[in-house]
Amino acid sequence: MKTLHRSIWMVLGLLMGGAALAYGQEVPAPQVDFPYSGNRTAVWVVANLHILFAAFILGAPIFAVVAEWLGYKNNDPKYDRLAKEVIKVTVILYSMTALTGGLFIFVLLGTYPEFSTWLIQHFFLVFAVIYPLLFILETIILYTYFYSWDSMKGSLKGRHIALGILLNIVGTVTLFVIDGPTSFMNTPAKAAEGVSLVEFVSNAGLWDKMANYSWMPLNLHRLVGNVTFGGFIAGLIAAYMYMRSKTDAERSYYDWMGFVGNMIGVGALLLLPFMGYLLAFELCDYDASICPYMMADQLSMFFEMQGAMIGLIFLASNYYIWLSLKRIEGVEQIRMSGFVALAVLVMPAVMGLAWKMFPPPEWRSLIFLVALILVPMVLGRLPGLKNFTVSAFTMIKIGFLMIVVADAIWMTPHGFVPTQGLATHELELPEWAQELALMPAKNAAAFTLVFLTIVNYIMYNRAIKQGTIIWGKIDFASQFVLIFLAFSAIWTMGLMGTVRSLTRKYYHVYNLVPDFTAEAFTPTLAYSAWWITGVTIVFYAVVSFAILVTLKPASAKVEAH
Amino acid sequence: MANQSFTKSALKKATIGIVIGAILVVAAQQTHFPPVFQAMFFIYAILGAVVFILLDAPPMKRLEGGKAVVALLVFYVLLSGLYVAGASLLPQFDPADEADKIVKVLKIRKSRSEQGKADELIARAKALDERAKAITAQLSSLGAGAQVEVASTSGGGAPASGDIIAKGKEQWELQECYNCHKLFGSGGKKRGPVLDNIGSLMTPEALREKILDPKSWMAEGFDKQYKKGKMPDKYRDLMFEEEIAALVAFLATLKDTSVETPKPIKMN
Repeated sequence: MKTLHRSIWMVLGLLMGGAALAYGQEVPAPQVDFPYSGNRTAVWVVANLHILFAAFILGAPIFAVVAEWLGYKNNDPKYDRLAKEVIKVTVILYSMTALTGGLFIFVLLGTYPEFSTWLIQHFFLVFAVIYPLLFILETIILYTYFYSWDSMKGSLKGRHIALGILLNIVGTVTLFVIDGPTSFMNTPAKAAEGVSLVEFVSNAGLWDKMANYSWMPLNLHRLVGNVTFGGFIAGLIAAYMYMRSKTDAERSYYDWMGFVGNMIGVGALLLLPFMGYLLAFELCDYDASICPYMMADQLSMFFEMQGAMIGLIFLASNYYIWLSLKRIEGVEQIRMSGFVALAVLVMPAVMGLAWKMFPPPEWRSLIFLVALILVPMVLGRLPGLKNFTVSAFTMIKIGFLMIVVADAIWMTPHGFVPTQGLATHELELPEWAQELALMPAKNAAAFTLVFLTIVNYIMYNRAIKQGTIIWGKIDFASQFVLIFLAFSAIWTMGLMGTVRSLTRKYYHVYNLVPDFTAEAFTPTLAYSAWWITGVTIVFYAVVSFAILVTLKPASAKVEAH
Repeated sequence: MANQSFTKSALKKATIGIVIGAILVVAAQQTHFPPVFQAMFFIYAILGAVVFILLDAPPMKRLEGGKAVVALLVFYVLLSGLYVAGASLLPQFDPADEADKIVKVLKIRKSRSEQGKADELIARAKALDERAKAITAQLSSLGAGAQVEVASTSGGGAPASGDIIAKGKEQWELQECYNCHKLFGSGGKKRGPVLDNIGSLMTPEALREKILDPKSWMAEGFDKQYKKGKMPDKYRDLMFEEEIAALVAFLATLKDTSVETPKPIKMN
């Protein structure tokens, strides 16, 4: 027995010694260093590219199934063709999403192995089981949806639409699931009173980590953003195809498609500022120091650029309405109450004051808001006052003036400085005008942009109903406007994605897992802009190629009405 | 003819834009806006003029084939150039400044993290050592007479302590307290109270309590408007004991009674 005991211990000792020797001689993995860009930028670029493709394959089906349903409901084959063309491009780009997704994982594992392992361990069920299963399910449904298009017609159309709805449900769930780890990196679960964050997270369950502060706001922001994106990309498809069209019938169809894409894109865009506020609100609620970092410190000029981009997008989408109006016969007869024009003119000042007196969520500011919307409608119907009207063109011109004013307010910073530490009186607003840089003024500006666009669309719809729209005869410049909208939307997505990531500062997971590498600083806006532009161009090139390869005007069989 | 009319109209609108821009610049000068804001107002007037010129522009001719492709490529180059130039014209910070700061913040964390790994290895070594001793004892009892040399570990000397107040001031910068609190006339922007005289109003113990548990004290006037009473409660997790002590020591020296500092109120 003693001999056995002794032998066991000796074998154990030998094994431990051998293991120690083997461990000591293990060849360390070579350091991965991306040339030129560095590791952090490499991860950023690949992730950004993946998210753009993912946004498209999630947004486009929402757009497509709505179009298919409209076609079915109104018995209008144009919508069905539109939906099918969008899904055709989606199918091609689906493989790009998977490819860039795989590339992203490889790059992340190669450059940040320790952190990647840490994150995978915390979300193992998500990464190893739930997400792959959802992705496979989505792939099966997408391909079934596309390849059954022609066979599921007539009485089976309803089932085909149901399949499209199922595709969107699975897509949305996939988005929500993968947003869990993403948002966790920004706002990891908040520790309970008296418990350290590290201890809390190490004991937290998967749901506690998924349902963090910024999860649902990010879900909503991305969902609405994807629909906007899908709409603008449909506009891009229409613009390309309009340019390639050889017949009036084709031009007529793609003119109409551009109009629908822009309308859906802008419709969803109207909600985006509010979704953005919600996300920012939750980030600030999680940690109040994120707010000044975004609005006054290193990221302040990123938001300045965002203001410029949003302003340009609103200007362009309204310019498209203007060009569309110009080709409607009888548009000269369309008039709108002059009180609406007056309400638009005073809106930034009145709402700025209202939100200063009663900051959200204080309900009393809504009284001003409702008054500004309802009073012009009521006054415009009163006898004696209802003749106070302005033409559609005058109304839109007032709208453009106010878009410039609203964007000027949105873009007025507290100081033209890249960080708060460099602020001096020579670069800051005078004391009396500081309200211009505060949230009430920004909210009022954002609301004015949204309100104006809604008014323009109401007027446009009135013009379509009362006048005669001639599809295919729109100013050719409008196609460049559609392309501009898609390009700018993609660029802005890249910019805001960069901002969201940078709010983590020098952490992989905010306040929890520091990034000890030398690259863990905030890049400058100029540097970021180069990379965002590069990513946008690559994405645009792939999408353009997919459109040109997939769709051919000659294959058109349905003539636009 | 239409082109001539458009040119005339465009010139007229450009002139109006320049005149409005000039009026805005003069008005901004008179109301003490710095030159950078005056330039911004002028740019907006010009942007407005460009928009109104575009509204009345004659319809664009249809482009086809190679011309359309070239036009598209030029358009993309212009857009890319516009966005890169726009972003580059805005003020940029020097990343080296932040990188230096990050190095300082993370230095102690990294060393603690490495220390943590070292501690873990030492603990494992100790466990193995205990096991080895037990085996040796057992082998001795069996008459093997094995000898085991035990390596001793020696700890490094403690780093020399520097000026605690200077370190506290450094913490003020590193933790970016200036983003919310005005001090020595800079920073703040009304998110948090001015702190120039906080050393006279709070004891070091109270200051420490406020940093670790921000809800324990509230500055007068900062408890309602815009949720200003929302100092982050993360410092108890993020800062090491010596960092908190240094920051408290620095804040305790702030006793400039000439600067109006909101009165702290002890909360329940």
